[in-house]
Amino acid sequence: MAEKPKIAIYGLGACAGCDQAIIDLNEVMLQVADAVDIVLWPLAMDFKYSRIQAMQDGEIALSILSGSVRNADHQKMAELLRKKSKIVLAMGACACFGGVSGLANFCGKEDIFNWVYRNAPTVINPTGCFPQPETDLNGYKLTLPEFFEHVFTLDQVIDVDYYLPGCPPPPELIGNAIVATLAGDLPPKGSALAPRKALCDTCPRNLRKPNRMEIRSFRRIHEVEADPDECFLAAGIICLGPATRSGCGETCIRINVPCRGCFGPVPGVMESAPKFLSTLSSLLVVERDDEIKEAIDSIDDPVGYLYRFSQPSSILGQKIAKKGLEN
Amino acid sequence: MTAKTITIDPVTRLEGHGKIEIFLNDHGDVEDAFWQVSELRGFERFCLGRPAEEMTRIAPNICGICPSAHHMAASKALDDLYDVEPTPTAILIRQLEFNAFYIEDHYIHFFFLAAPDFVAGPDADPAERNILGVIHKLGKDIGARIIDVRRKNREIIKLVFSKAPHPEGGLPGGVSRGITSEERKWIKEIADDSVAFAQFAMDMFKDLVLHNPKNLDLMLNDAYRLKTCYMSLVDENDKVSFYDGMVKVIDPDGAEILRFAPRDYIEHIGEWVELWTYIKMCHLKKIGWKGLVEGQGTSLYRVAPLARLNVASGMATPLAQKEYEQMFETLGGKPAHHTLAMHWARLICALQAAEHNQMIASDPLLTSKDIRNMNLHLKHIGVGCVEAPRGTLFHHYETDDRGLLTKVNLIVATQNNAAPISLSIKKAAKEFIRQGDIREGLLNRIEMALRAYDPCLSCATHALPGQMPMMVNIRNTDGQVIHTLGRT
Amino acid sequence: MEAYNPKVVCFSCNFGWGYLNNEETLGATILNWIPVACSGKIDTHHILKAFKAGADGVLILGCPEGHCHFQDGNYQTRKKVCLIQKVLGAFGIEPERLDMEMAIDPEGKKIPQLIARMKNDLAKLGPVKRI
Repeated sequence: MAEKPKIAIYGLGACAGCDQAIIDLNEVMLQVADAVDIVLWPLAMDFKYSRIQAMQDGEIALSILSGSVRNADHQKMAELLRKKSKIVLAMGACACFGGVSGLANFCGKEDIFNWVYRNAPTVINPTGCFPQPETDLNGYKLTLPEFFEHVFTLDQVIDVDYYLPGCPPPPELIGNAIVATLAGDLPPKGSALAPRKALCDTCPRNLRKPNRMEIRSFRRIHEVEADPDECFLAAGIICLGPATRSGCGETCIRINVPCRGCFGPVPGVMESAPKFLSTLSSLLVVERDDEIKEAIDSIDDPVGYLYRFSQPSSILGQKIAKKGLEN
Repeated sequence: MTAKTITIDPVTRLEGHGKIEIFLNDHGDVEDAFWQVSELRGFERFCLGRPAEEMTRIAPNICGICPSAHHMAASKALDDLYDVEPTPTAILIRQLEFNAFYIEDHYIHFFFLAAPDFVAGPDADPAERNILGVIHKLGKDIGARIIDVRRKNREIIKLVFSKAPHPEGGLPGGVSRGITSEERKWIKEIADDSVAFAQFAMDMFKDLVLHNPKNLDLMLNDAYRLKTCYMSLVDENDKVSFYDGMVKVIDPDGAEILRFAPRDYIEHIGEWVELWTYIKMCHLKKIGWKGLVEGQGTSLYRVAPLARLNVASGMATPLAQKEYEQMFETLGGKPAHHTLAMHWARLICALQAAEHNQMIASDPLLTSKDIRNMNLHLKHIGVGCVEAPRGTLFHHYETDDRGLLTKVNLIVATQNNAAPISLSIKKAAKEFIRQGDIREGLLNRIEMALRAYDPCLSCATHALPGQMPMMVNIRNTDGQVIHTLGRT
Repeated sequence: MEAYNPKVVCFSCNFGWGYLNNEETLGATILNWIPVACSGKIDTHHILKAFKAGADGVLILGCPEGHCHFQDGNYQTRKKVCLIQKVLGAFGIEPERLDMEMAIDPEGKKIPQLIARMKNDLAKLGPVKRI
């Protein structure tokens, strides 16, 4: 009998939501567990790092990596799994684009430390100390990993074969991705294993979208009782549907809240933020210069919408990590 | 000394996301032990400048295990920020979702993390100590039931708040989507089913632990007792409450020492900074930081299921109340300091959540269309508090005149437990590691002390994955690692 | 230490700026000048990429209000510029580093002058403090 293909599932700088989404495969997960050999999945089972290290290069058929890369430990694990795997799948918005935690690239590490360990109202810190990479405590040496100044996407650290966007990706797409990989039925390397359309194209509200959309001013979601059938943008509510890939099942739209872009750009587009920015400005119908300024000023925190999941992969935010921590 | 012959495992190069360091003296006995959390993400800072109402969509990303808790705390902080009372229907829908979340969350912990120790036994082969091992031992039918109850309750979360990891849609004064009469029927069935399952799980626990002298002895073992204060939310009748209530604190003898409204949390909770861990250690300001000590006079308190039952004078639902009574009878009265009894308390909380959802499913107001109170008045500061599955959770936001965040402070469940977890580990380590004997089963017993807390590290540092810290380093007097227990 | 010499990338519309002059002659004298068919052709990512590539400032020269050869390309870009200005700050790039001038200059003589003026302003700001 041929050996079962090996699969590794691992979260780097992640929230474990992607692991939960895999567990949400439910019975399908049990079938997968029968058909493959899960060599690594810390959330669900015991494992030894040394076991992975001892493997041949390329011995793992598929590594599913979620999370962004924030410290040397993450990088080391990503590099190890890359080496041992035939196919690496970047799973979830964090691995693909940086994710919500990537917003941390907008503020410095020092600022975070100062707030968390000194200035937060509940902090009691008479000496004003910070946690240290190395501490001597009554003769015991305790160490902590230092983290990078920057949040990286997975493909800024290792070579990624396929992408599975979403926060988290829905179980159906996860199941399809695993089946397609094991069957070798895959699109060209670098593809996202998700539908190719934009969210607007699959949005149930598209039917009632006006032929010519005109926005005069913007409104925030808590200020209005949104019509559950009306296009959010037509109502002046920011929705990233036009620049976001479909595949989520329009779950947010269906509970009457607008899209925030967790599926990332549509195929052929490097980054969704500039596309959406262009869309948004073209929909604005205002005449004079001062009116333009006023309308744009009414968009509170455009950065927080445009880069909600994508700061680390954005044109201005991206950096390439130093390679080769493994050796 | 035998311990010295164990070589340094290369696993040590990989820190994982949290670790336990155990130091032995020359006799091979435990001198000291520390639990370290090794990551930090900084949500409190990078949320600044974002519109406050987006917090219900950003905060859940703190943790994929308990996103619903952050979503709910954020929703309630927004209610307070906008000085608005959600409509009765909105409160019912929120509670329905929150209970469903409690059920699926408590069971994933019990069956995935805790049960393997009791089903397979603490000395079993690590390869058998996982959910597949549990299903294998208990049979596929029971496995199917576990999967089914989890799926159904997560369907409720999806129905009202979009997705199970990372719910969306909480708004100040209400929710974004109502519930129809057809959906009510389906919800009722799930609630009934969940109550039946909760009773089944309770019986299973009793079979595994109460009727098994070895496991019972483990639960009652002194190594797993820690005398601390306790904190929890209680309702107006002083009963266990998940969604709302007053924060109540008792001392190690069970006397009430504090009862305060969540928005006064700053006056009562302090976060101590240590050099050797990224997590801050919560304690009671009134008593002041006394270090990692237990017993009368300690400023450390614990949260989570056992704390809830210790603090409240009873459960809010009848079946859960019966179980509550039996638990304290077995443990010898209140407060119970048995860390491993958290598993028991956890199942009782899941039962209350299921019973409560039965009531909600029958409430005529559930299907009303009045899901939002639009009467918003920005008052620039808002505190939201829920009793999350892993303990009391606080979200505190401040904004400018446009409702853009200028200050965010979060106190999360596992952080409340940080210092006691460190203490529990040290205590268990001292008990189980003697004369350099560090068999895997003994080390697992130390891990069991940690596992009982169901620590969620993503939350704890507003940071990393909700994985158990996977590294245990045992060091000799020279600080050399003589053994590593690694699951990464 | 070398004096700070800000780099400006200038996009200009062919229909309003320098169309009477020979593009090659003019181009030989102006560094990082990119004539385009209409200021409306300039997309957001062109501007962001200019900054990514190391520009200290980006100057866009479009036609006056109501004079766009393609209906309202200049107006579309005007709005876009305002919105991009609001986004740049988060990346540590001051909004003044992106500017748009709407006028007509058939000879293109003002192009070097406007670039020089922007460089002068940028010199006061200093190099981009990238996050």
